[in-house]
Amino acid sequence: MTGKNVIEVKDLRIRYKTIKAESIKKSLFSLRKSKLEEFEAVKGISFSIEKGEVVGLIGKNGSGKSTTLRSIAGIFSPDEGTIDIGDNTISLLSIGVGFNKELTGKDNIFLSGLLLGFTEQQIKDKYKEIVKFSELGNFINAPVRTYSSGMYSKLAFSISVIMETDIILIDEVLSVGDIKFKRKSLKKIKELISDSSRTVMIVSHSIETVRKLCTRVIWLHEGQLRMDGPTQEVLEAYEEFMTELEPEKKKTKKEKREEKLLQYLDE
Amino acid sequence: MKKFIANVKRYKSYMIYSAKATLKGEVAGSRLNWLWWILDPFLFMLVYTFMALVVFGKGEPYFPVFVFIGLNMYDFFNRTVTRSVRAIKRNKGVISKVYLPKYVLVLTTMLVNGFKMLVAFALVVLMIPIYRVPLTWHVIELIPVFITLLLFTFGCSCIVMNIGVFFSDLANVITVLLRLVFYMSGIFYNILNRVPAPYDNVLLTVNPMALLIQSARNCVLYQTNPYYGLLGAWFAISVVLCIVGVRMIQKYENSYVKVI
Repeated sequence: MTGKNVIEVKDLRIRYKTIKAESIKKSLFSLRKSKLEEFEAVKGISFSIEKGEVVGLIGKNGSGKSTTLRSIAGIFSPDEGTIDIGDNTISLLSIGVGFNKELTGKDNIFLSGLLLGFTEQQIKDKYKEIVKFSELGNFINAPVRTYSSGMYSKLAFSISVIMETDIILIDEVLSVGDIKFKRKSLKKIKELISDSSRTVMIVSHSIETVRKLCTRVIWLHEGQLRMDGPTQEVLEAYEEFMTELEPEKKKTKKEKREEKLLQYLDE
Repeated sequence: MKKFIANVKRYKSYMIYSAKATLKGEVAGSRLNWLWWILDPFLFMLVYTFMALVVFGKGEPYFPVFVFIGLNMYDFFNRTVTRSVRAIKRNKGVISKVYLPKYVLVLTTMLVNGFKMLVAFALVVLMIPIYRVPLTWHVIELIPVFITLLLFTFGCSCIVMNIGVFFSDLANVITVLLRLVFYMSGIFYNILNRVPAPYDNVLLTVNPMALLIQSARNCVLYQTNPYYGLLGAWFAISVVLCIVGVRMIQKYENSYVKVI
């Protein structure tokens, strides 16, 4: 770890072996042909990110964005290469959240916080703020399985955002909950981003989102690092590449919605 | 090994909170609430007492206490192993969002079931004066018995959890195996009196649950020592199982998320 860098990724390679969970019968009969199909999702990428940077990670589907993000979060370790995040606390925000459904929202806040590396006292101090931000009210004492999907995501978002880990990884979840909550969460993210001690990585398919929020963009293409540089420069090249690839690609509804929100924020 | 201890320390508060929350969650909806922790083993004890005394007509001295000791120890083992097989799938949500050493899940389950076992053993303590069991200092010798039980359970659970991720039918196999262990551990009968020689000794030697249960009964009911020789051997095996289990998890845990 050198200087101000908070994330250092060196020659990262991640492979998916298609070892599906299978039945004993199957594996007994297939002992002979134990040919493991390997698929390399990330093929040797290196980059380092300094404290306070807001980095967008772009690329078409299957280019290894989410895999990279998840390995930075420590969910699976690299097959080759290293990832160094020092002593920083890190949280990953992505679709579908890691809650124990039988437990109450309150218990899940504490469990998530403890897993992120905070002490019980630290969580207690932030607890009220999380509940308030999540707009869950009395539902916080009900088991999470009774929540609607919107409430679910709102709670997850609130925990990550209010607990303020040093590094926040965001995987396509800038559109959570109803319109009011979305505005609030985008605002909160902007607030976090303007705080120079916070490092953020965002995976998004919406070029506009990336343009508005990020200071730097990394473009992954089929598991390799295609380009890494200032937002404007990389996005231009990326857009050019994408229109060449698929000239009349229309924006998806989701992207349009996100862009509208961003416009609202600017006003 | 160092990594294991460091991780246990680091995740200690998570494990305790998680165990507490699980215990609370389990009884939250029910009317009798925490009374179930006592009622559950008590009612099962009644069932087996009925089976042995009425159906088979073959009791043992201090029969309810006798059954209780066996049942509580077996339940702890059974519940922990059964839950561990599917632990990864059940906790998929958490696991795919944040890293945690996977044996933390086993330890949490052990805390939950260990607490239930403690409550159930409180009942045993209550019943001892009622049935006028003559207690002696041999009770202290329960300590090595329970340490072995904890290690054996942890080792088995870790291994089973790891394999369960890759072979989904392990859960079915384990259910059958555990049922077999149940009937072979002498929970509602005394292996020494009911199983003809030499099979009684064979059972005590190869089935650690039978050995542990019988040893615990020796300490509480029969005023004698646990089977120290066999206990020592199974203690050593358990330690090896734990090391193998933890190593397995450390080696494979990062591919769990890719499979489930």
